[in-house]
Amino acid sequence: MSHVITTEGLTKTYGSRTVVDSLDLRVPEGCVYGFLGPNGSGKSTTMKMLLSLVRPSRGAISVFGRPMDRRTRHELSPMIGSLIESPPGYGHLTGWENMAIVRRMLGLSERQVRRAIATVRLGDHMDQRVRAYSLGMKQRLGIAMALAREPRLLVLDEPTNGLDPSGIEEIRELLLSLADEGVTVMVSSHLLDEVDRMASVLGILGRGRLVFQGTREALFDRSVPDLVVDTPEPRRALELGIPAVRVRGGVRVSGTTDDGTAELVRRLVHHDVPVHGVRRVRRSLEEVFMDLTGREGLS
Amino acid sequence: MIRTAVTLEVHKSRRLRVGVLCLVMVASVVALAGMNLFSDATRAGFSDPAAQPWEALLLNQVLMTAMTAPILVAVLAGRQVDIEHQGRGWTLARVAGFGPGTLCRAKAVVLGVVLTLTTGAQSVLLLGAGLAAGITVAPPLALWGRYTFCLVLVNLALLCLHLWLAARVEHQLVGLGVGLLGAFYAVFSLLMPVWAAYLLPWGYYAAISPLAMSGDHLVRSGPVPWLLALFLGAAATLFLLACRRLDRSEGGPA
Ligand SMILES: Nc1ncnc2c1ncn2[C@@H]1O[C@H](COP(=O)(O)OP(=O)(O)OP(=O)(O)O)[C@@H](O)[C@H]1O
Ligand SMILES: [Mg+2]
Repeated sequence: MSHVITTEGLTKTYGSRTVVDSLDLRVPEGCVYGFLGPNGSGKSTTMKMLLSLVRPSRGAISVFGRPMDRRTRHELSPMIGSLIESPPGYGHLTGWENMAIVRRMLGLSERQVRRAIATVRLGDHMDQRVRAYSLGMKQRLGIAMALAREPRLLVLDEPTNGLDPSGIEEIRELLLSLADEGVTVMVSSHLLDEVDRMASVLGILGRGRLVFQGTREALFDRSVPDLVVDTPEPRRALELGIPAVRVRGGVRVSGTTDDGTAELVRRLVHHDVPVHGVRRVRRSLEEVFMDLTGREGLS
Repeated sequence: MIRTAVTLEVHKSRRLRVGVLCLVMVASVVALAGMNLFSDATRAGFSDPAAQPWEALLLNQVLMTAMTAPILVAVLAGRQVDIEHQGRGWTLARVAGFGPGTLCRAKAVVLGVVLTLTTGAQSVLLLGAGLAAGITVAPPLALWGRYTFCLVLVNLALLCLHLWLAARVEHQLVGLGVGLLGAFYAVFSLLMPVWAAYLLPWGYYAAISPLAMSGDHLVRSGPVPWLLALFLGAAATLFLLACRRLDRSEGGPA
């Protein structure tokens, strides 16, 4: 599998604070890469470095197999459709006029612009000034600007920000269909839920470090499933000092090994706690995510 | 690249009322400077070279321009740059391969043309007003032309300064405030000793004055050529260097 973006030891420090720490990213071609992390974990900073909007303190970036730096950025960055933090758009100009600026800037055709607008379904509002747009409309315009060049790589920083549920669903479908056409999409979010259903590869940031990178399945495999013990007397089970929480019809123990499970059942039986059943349950992706990134600082 | 950037600036300037602002400026300078043309005392001297009717009109233009041009320059630069701050235009341009310095240079070209036309129109209209009012003494065309030419150059230098300031300082009231103070300084430079005019960029609106008072008479005067050349050269060089630095920097200019 070839990679569209690779980084080696990518690091950014502000003063003595390291906000992005030694990232080795691998973004495979033609997939949706979900870039996850809580607020302030360094997603936007990383994406800005990928687009050469922020200079890395250390490390190397390669995009389409070529090094991305100050000398090559004028050539490479126009090939990437991007949306970083809040969307661009001149408030005193209409949607059309804004798209005309982008068209001239990148030497695009009228057809490409119309297609991008149709894709984000902004057609009805293009004669309106952008100043009067809602956040969701601005976001759509920003996505249209990124899409118009028909890029092979899209780097989108929280593109669903400000969109309503149906808008989020539309973006999800759009990104998936783009990936089907062979476009590589890197999309960030602080909500796992949002990228879960579209990303086939995940990169998870926690305090500037890459705590996980791989497929969704690999992420599940890394976490030990929880153990649920069905019992009519959960109080007594808890009184034994088992590291568990009470759930309906029993208790739930997180992350036990096979030996730990055997030991646990032995103790329960020994103390005459009635055990009606023992089963493994998969943890939700959200819980895995929270464990990896730490529970604080999540919104 | 710079040609595309200039075209883009023209399209972005839509609805910024650049034309209206310039028209207001021209109209007010012509009206204020030409006001005296209608007083009886002035009219009496229209055919008497000793009464210096053209010189009086020209000196009025110098005064009114010193008062208004610094503000116009600050407003034009501020408006054309503020849209980039507000609309995240710096990033949009950067990822399309246009650095902020290129944007600033393109803005200088577009607004420079506008300011040059405005300055020219102002002189021509005032000259026309004098003729229409009935001044029969021959107008000092060369002197007027030289002043207009110098004024264009000083306007361009100040434009560069304000574009840079507007790009670096996101809050546009700062640029406007500097322009206002500059206008004060320009007017005071007309009254202060000559050397004061060469100390700050805005003083050059006074330094290029083609006339000076000598007793109760107006005598021909002009800027110290090498000082003016030094100022213009420094402004152009610093602006281009600053733009290059902006292009090489990371992110936006502010
Ligand atoms: N220019 C800067 N100077 C100093 N610190 C900065 C700068 N830019 C970002 N940071 C810090 O870097 C950290 C990461 O910021 P970043 O914007 O990359 O986070 P994020 O993952 O995008 O967060 P969010 O989900 O809120 O968008 C933050 O703690 C932030 O304070
Ligand atoms: Mg962010």
